Amino acid sequence: MPTSELAQIEMLASVDNLIHQLKLWSEQKTDWKPAQQCQAVIHQLLPRLDMLRVRLESPLVIATFGGTGTGKSSLVNALIGSYCTTSGRQRPTTTEPVLIAHPDTDLDRLGLDLSQFQIEQKKLDQLRNIILIDCPDPDTSEVMDEAGNLTRLQQIIPLCDILLYTSTQQKYRSARVSEELKEAAVGRRLIFVQTHAGLDEDIREDWRQQLSRQFDVPEIYLVDSVRALEDQLADRPLENEFASLQNVLSTQLGKSERLQVRRANLLELIQNAIDHCTHKISVALPAIRELEAFLKEQQVSLTSQMSQELRKELLISRNLWERRLLSCVSDSWGFSPFSTMLRVYNGLGNFIASASLFRARNSAQVALIGALQGARWIGNRHKEQAAEDRLNRIGSFGLDDNRLRESQLLIDGYAQAAGLATHQDHLAGSLEKLQTEAAYVEEQFLSDAGTRVDGIITKLAHKNSGWFTRIWYETLFLSLIVYALVRIGKNFFYDSFLDERNILAIDFYVTAGVIFLIWSGLLVMLFTRKLKRGLEDEINQLSDELAKAKLAHGLFPHLEQACQQAHSLQHSLERMGGETRQLRNEIASSRILGAWKVTEPTMNVGSIPPHLTSQ
Amino acid sequence: MPSTLHEFSQTVHRLRDNLIALEQKTKQLDLPGLSGREWFDILQRKLIPQLSDNVYLVVAVVGGTNIGKSVIFNHLVHQQTSAISPLASQTRHPVCLVPQDFEQNHDLEKIFQGFQLIPWASAEDPLKQDEQHLLFWKTSENLASNLLVLDTPDIDSDAEVNWERAERIRQCSDVLVTVLTQQKYNDAAVKQFFREAAREDKVIITIFNQCELPDDEAYWPLWLNTFCHETGVRPEFVFIAPNNRQAATSLQLPFYRRTFEPTLSENTPALNSEAPAEDTPVNLMQVLSQMHFGEIKVQTLKGALHYLVEQNTGVPAYLREIKIRSNEFRSASELLSEQELAEIENWPLVPNSVIVDAVRKWWQSQREGWTAQVHGFYNTIGKGVLWPLRYVHSLATEEKRPPMEIYREQEWSVVLQTVEGIYDRLTLVSELGNELLTNRLKTLLNGTSREHLLKILHEEHAAFDFTAQLEELIKTEMTFFKKESPQYYTFLKQLDRIAAVARPALSVGLFFVGFGAVGHAGSQLVTDTMIQSVVNVAGDVAGGAATTTVGETAVSSTASTGIGYLEAKFRRFHAVFAQKRSEWLATAVRTHLLKTLPEELKSAVDLPNSEFYQVVQNSVSELETQLNQLRISI
Repeated sequence: MPTSELAQIEMLASVDNLIHQLKLWSEQKTDWKPAQQCQAVIHQLLPRLDMLRVRLESPLVIATFGGTGTGKSSLVNALIGSYCTTSGRQRPTTTEPVLIAHPDTDLDRLGLDLSQFQIEQKKLDQLRNIILIDCPDPDTSEVMDEAGNLTRLQQIIPLCDILLYTSTQQKYRSARVSEELKEAAVGRRLIFVQTHAGLDEDIREDWRQQLSRQFDVPEIYLVDSVRALEDQLADRPLENEFASLQNVLSTQLGKSERLQVRRANLLELIQNAIDHCTHKISVALPAIRELEAFLKEQQVSLTSQMSQELRKELLISRNLWERRLLSCVSDSWGFSPFSTMLRVYNGLGNFIASASLFRARNSAQVALIGALQGARWIGNRHKEQAAEDRLNRIGSFGLDDNRLRESQLLIDGYAQAAGLATHQDHLAGSLEKLQTEAAYVEEQFLSDAGTRVDGIITKLAHKNSGWFTRIWYETLFLSLIVYALVRIGKNFFYDSFLDERNILAIDFYVTAGVIFLIWSGLLVMLFTRKLKRGLEDEINQLSDELAKAKLAHGLFPHLEQACQQAHSLQHSLERMGGETRQLRNEIASSRILGAWKVTEPTMNVGSIPPHLTSQ
Repeated sequence: MPSTLHEFSQTVHRLRDNLIALEQKTKQLDLPGLSGREWFDILQRKLIPQLSDNVYLVVAVVGGTNIGKSVIFNHLVHQQTSAISPLASQTRHPVCLVPQDFEQNHDLEKIFQGFQLIPWASAEDPLKQDEQHLLFWKTSENLASNLLVLDTPDIDSDAEVNWERAERIRQCSDVLVTVLTQQKYNDAAVKQFFREAAREDKVIITIFNQCELPDDEAYWPLWLNTFCHETGVRPEFVFIAPNNRQAATSLQLPFYRRTFEPTLSENTPALNSEAPAEDTPVNLMQVLSQMHFGEIKVQTLKGALHYLVEQNTGVPAYLREIKIRSNEFRSASELLSEQELAEIENWPLVPNSVIVDAVRKWWQSQREGWTAQVHGFYNTIGKGVLWPLRYVHSLATEEKRPPMEIYREQEWSVVLQTVEGIYDRLTLVSELGNELLTNRLKTLLNGTSREHLLKILHEEHAAFDFTAQLEELIKTEMTFFKKESPQYYTFLKQLDRIAAVARPALSVGLFFVGFGAVGHAGSQLVTDTMIQSVVNVAGDVAGGAATTTVGETAVSSTASTGIGYLEAKFRRFHAVFAQKRSEWLATAVRTHLLKTLPEELKSAVDLPNSEFYQVVQNSVSELETQLNQLRISI
């Protein structure tokens, strides 16, 4: 395959890909109103693009465009060399558009509503590649009405590939025609013609200057249509300018140029729509940013409030800390006299507290009981009750109803201003929903806190229960036992046997037991105190860390998602815009055909350009 | 001659002043201002300067771009005063030729209001690019005295500032030399311009330029006929000029006089389609000079006056516009006041113990002489003795917040609910499609203003001294009670018993006192606040005050006695307190949430009944009668 053909195919593929992306973009579900409106624009555009792709190979549709009396019909007559459409001196002459085509051209495939045209079929060679339409003017109608020329024109324009823009010395700066051209030029190639060459002076330089603000102007033809027609009828040679115009239309716009033209039109339509959407979205984006900032602010204040609260509660839950620390140490020490002792005390404590321990009264206690036990605790209960407990707890955590209501009120305002449809779920009594959401946020926060608390416990336990400490405490603990045992042993084996002293009375054991209890209690107390050394610092540090930590999501996860989606929609739109621009640049600009300039966006804010809706 | 019209001068001046005053008042209606309205510009630029002045005629050459206006102007004044160019839209500023000594008797600035006057220096002057509206003027000996001739910028090019300048000239002119061509006689922009001219009863002289003679001899009547039918213009004179560039540039263009009568229907061709046998070019200036200045002046001034009082174009249309807009505001405020803004079913109650304390406190302040001292003594003793017990008790039970703090929190929750309800309601209203409300509510409903509102409400609410307010209330209520009823002593004795049973359910409704069904009754009661709150005590049948308990007489007028009466009395404390609080809320909502919206709506609704509106209306009808009398006298 020749490389040029390959390039052609590659180009086609990338255009197809672009259209596919557009389609996907327009089908994404979103709650964001500006995006929805843009999607509607794209939806309108897609069938038009399909039509253009289908027609890629059929003859080009060329329509005249220009103020009344600028000689549109005369030019058409001159181009085909015979009187075909009525030209006259009364304004407006043409009200019904005239379509001129070769008899071999299959008109049905064009997608035109043929009933609105007066159709002329001419067996002329110059009509093999093109279809000519003589259009009504855009500047005699003062208001848009059903029967006006402007309305008629706007129905035809979307179906044209090339506009033959005629003007005269009198009309080339007419405001109305220029306005209409701005709208009509998007998605079409342009050929500029100054008519009435026999009567008027050459104003092409000034005209070009005016036009080039908005259009690429390659060549302006200066023709005298009346004379050209007479020349043809009398078989005289044609004037150069007119001949070259005729040549451009009949031969140069042949098959090779056809694809080029259609593709350029297609890309231009896409770009115009994308530019329009990009603009619309970029106007609406600040409100989204505001919402995001507020959501973030809410999240930050939420986490800091929760961590403050947690800190406060952790600091006062002294008993729980001790028990957890003790059990941690006794677990790590394995079996030894003192650790057995610790376990006994711990077990005793647990037993006493068992009625209340696992019914965590506040959130901090849940964190403190530990993620593992906490989960077990939740699992052991009915889900309903868990949810109820959770709701009760969030109140103590600063997430009370008033606070939730406040943030909901504010968020509602921001979301509405951003154009996000929220109120329907809001009206459905979403305070409960918000409470559940708050409970989940809190749970997530607590499970995170729980893991960290576990870390603190292990850390403290290990730091404060090294070998030295262990040996020291074991020794101290054992020393009493050993002393008691030695005394008892000595009394039993030696004193009572050899010395014939009395065996130790029960009083001794009672006293020993009491001393043992006091001794072991004292040791456990000292040990616990030692374990707790540095606890407060750890808790403060923990709460600081938690305050900085980011929650996976805040109280309004669906709004956060919507914001993210808004950004992603905007990014993909920008990417597509860039791609379109690149593809347009790849199509070399034509020497003969003018076009709407890319760099200057002509669309106006908020309204869909008429050429997108006029179908 | 226009001495008959001099008398209008005063009325017109007055009308203008009144209009400007009215415009000031209508700012909140978001209507377009006066300047820019055709009739007002005519009033300013034509009627006010020309009614009181001597007769002079303003003649302007007007038409589309690049059809030879400047050429015709130069021919008219017999000199190259305005430069001509093959390019379109080159004449950017008007040029005026003034008869000698004219400016000594007249103030040109006054005649051409809105233009900066500059003495003409060269023919290139009008081509200058300048954002200011300039007008170049030059005295000419050839001109008949009291005749001003102008060349104007175009009315249809893409330089829109040119249209504006041409329109200003049209407004103050008397005679328009209308230049038409085959290409432009049916252009929308051209037709629009001349339709206005016809409405203002200007004298029109039509020149068909660039005709292909003799071919076009048959066509111009058709063209002109279409033009006249489309615009309503009836030309006084018609001239045609051939398409001859050379003649045009050398001031040699011939103008042929033609007679023309528009036909009845647009499509019937006009009759005289042949050149008359004797066809000599005419001198345009001569034609102008021979016109009857006085009559023309009267005609155009009268035309302008008619335009001013005309139902569809003039001041009445403006007044109607105000009225319509005001009605839109009315329906907007009705939309707001149709339903209550918010209803709060569960307004929190002040704990009865607090009320009982407050009543006791009041009672103590009532005691006089030694009884007060004795009681005070026992109270102090009692407090001292009981203090340790209380302390222990407070240690045993968890720390308890003061009851008023709990009430504060409950009330805040209710305030939030109310604000939420109001926002929901306003959102609904804003979605109903009343554009006025939608735009105004949009800013009120966005996040920042909500944040702002909550902040202010929170501050006000937190700073409020509930106890003081309650004590104050109890004091007035009890003083009143004591004066009115002998039962008050029983009330005091049985206070605890009564308090135990009297717990009314309160609901509060907030209304927007606008102009709807609810509004009119309410607006008489409460004139200064436009949000009204109504407290409802549910089930208070025993006390006889079943409905609202607002107003002093609600309880005292009921003749019932016994414990039910006392209970009702106690409930009244709740109700009145709730009323006070909900009034605070209503005021806060009005000042911080709705801001100026209610006033705006109200003053907009009242505008058509305002003095300013009436005055303008009167001076218009005065003008109309004057005009009618003039017609009869002529």
